[in-house]
Amino acid sequence: MPAVSRKASLALFFAALVAIGLFTPAHRLLGVNQHMFLAINVLALNFCLGLGGQISLAQAAFAGIGAYASVLLHARFPGATLVIVPGVVLGTGLLAGLVSRPMERLGEGFLAMATLCVSLVCVNVALSLEGLTGGAAGLMVEHKLALPVVGALGGDRVTFFLFTLLLALGAYLFLAIRDSRLGRALAACRDDRHAASSLGIDRAATRAVSFGLGGGLSAAAGAIHGHYTGFISPEQFSLELSLKALLFLVIGGPGNLLRPILAALFLETLMGWLQFLGESRTLVNGLLLGAALLAGYWRRRK
Amino acid sequence: MLALYLAQIVNSGLALGAVYGLMALGFSLIYCASRLINFAQGELLLLGGLGIATLAGVTHLSPLLAVAAAALAGFLLGRVLFSTTLGLTLRASPLRQLMLTVAASLVFQGVAILAWGKNPLMPPRLLPLPDLRLGPLFLGRDTVTGLALALCAMAVLGAFLKYARLGRALRATSQNAVAARLMGINPVLCHSLSFALAGALASLAALAVGPQTGLRYDMGLGLGLKGFAAATIGGYTSLGKVFAGGLALGLCEAALVLVLSGELKETATYALIIILLVAAPAESEGERP
Repeated sequence: MPAVSRKASLALFFAALVAIGLFTPAHRLLGVNQHMFLAINVLALNFCLGLGGQISLAQAAFAGIGAYASVLLHARFPGATLVIVPGVVLGTGLLAGLVSRPMERLGEGFLAMATLCVSLVCVNVALSLEGLTGGAAGLMVEHKLALPVVGALGGDRVTFFLFTLLLALGAYLFLAIRDSRLGRALAACRDDRHAASSLGIDRAATRAVSFGLGGGLSAAAGAIHGHYTGFISPEQFSLELSLKALLFLVIGGPGNLLRPILAALFLETLMGWLQFLGESRTLVNGLLLGAALLAGYWRRRK
Repeated sequence: MLALYLAQIVNSGLALGAVYGLMALGFSLIYCASRLINFAQGELLLLGGLGIATLAGVTHLSPLLAVAAAALAGFLLGRVLFSTTLGLTLRASPLRQLMLTVAASLVFQGVAILAWGKNPLMPPRLLPLPDLRLGPLFLGRDTVTGLALALCAMAVLGAFLKYARLGRALRATSQNAVAARLMGINPVLCHSLSFALAGALASLAALAVGPQTGLRYDMGLGLGLKGFAAATIGGYTSLGKVFAGGLALGLCEAALVLVLSGELKETATYALIIILLVAAPAESEGERP
């Protein structure tokens, strides 16, 4: 796609998001915000998979770490949002980078399993630390995110714009990295890792950066989401979220900026409308996702 | 006291270990033949088990017939799984194929919910084997059933892979698909056969695990994961080692249950898998999937 039309479609996308935020009734935004949370996780995964060629099923774990850390710290230091949120994002990003380092040389399937286990370990730790996290029963969130001059940040509309801002920031970072020296190194690792190594690229370190950025972005989304819903539990950050993020990224095409986000927003909305199906929802969801995967494959073959 | 604890660990560990071993065999069959990690392996167990439980409720199956019916049902299920996932996307990226098995597992789960509901189902014991006492060791009937099923299945599978023409073709494909093709072997047939055999193994595992824990619509992923972990411990290449990996994982879990709480047990198991994956020696980096 030529650069001009790419920029135009990006601008159009964010203009549409702003219009949705401005003109949709606030109570309708509740569902939209859930989808925005997922879309940010899809973008976060795109850093690992689209740029660095590394699959990850730990995205939900990083979002969960961000949410729990932010909520627990706010309970101790209410009002210190300006310190806590960047700290949590940075900390989770560093953690994600560190976690990815020993796993870097694993191939696709094994990496999927290893990161899936990271996710499960996090969920089980949150479940077993009942004194701190409330265990399976979850944790009520009493404090909202707050900025010095603006005051408390809450409510459906404000959260929607926070998510939009985060998505825009993530998109900017994604494009900036893709066209940079680091992005070219990541692309080399993705396309042929042996060649990348022999060109003198420190593969583990390079990929740890993309993994860390993805982890940080997920943590930021998790922090916003945790304070927004007023309640957090391990279930919100279970494997389902990671799997969904990966599914939508694969459907939209890893490495592509807008298409996976659109796939997430569109298909999730569609599946939300299927609530009336009741018990047969799981089956229809599976068929829908399978069809989307097959459609993408057949389109590419032509 | 300690001996009693050990005996209990061995009994419950072997009961689950046999199930994990069967799942692991199915996992590694598919993985070796097509380099695909099958996320729907647990759902094969689920649907196979539920189907056989219902069939046994309607008709009074004799034990041998029940085993044969389970194997056949699993075989067909696995074949269906192949033709709806890998069979459709033979040239797609591995990632897309992997995700397609995730979608398939959702579909299978949806079918299970629609047909059998969300309540756990306690299938009857179709193989009435007795308890077994070996000196200080006591093996309950679930353990004996699981071990008997697993060992027989492994013997049959081993003989098939070693002596049957088709089994040898399967092995050749898993070693080098291109060379196998040059020798006149149809790789697609081998892929579908590996799925079908994995389905049969999962269905037999359902016969063993059903009376122990019951069958529930959401149990597939957990069991599938344990099967994958066991296959990783066993190293994928030899039937005996893969099965031993399942037994080791089962014993390890049983020991952890007695020492730690339920959630910590899961944490320890998954942490162990990460360590194994990261530390497992690879012949060369290209060998890793």
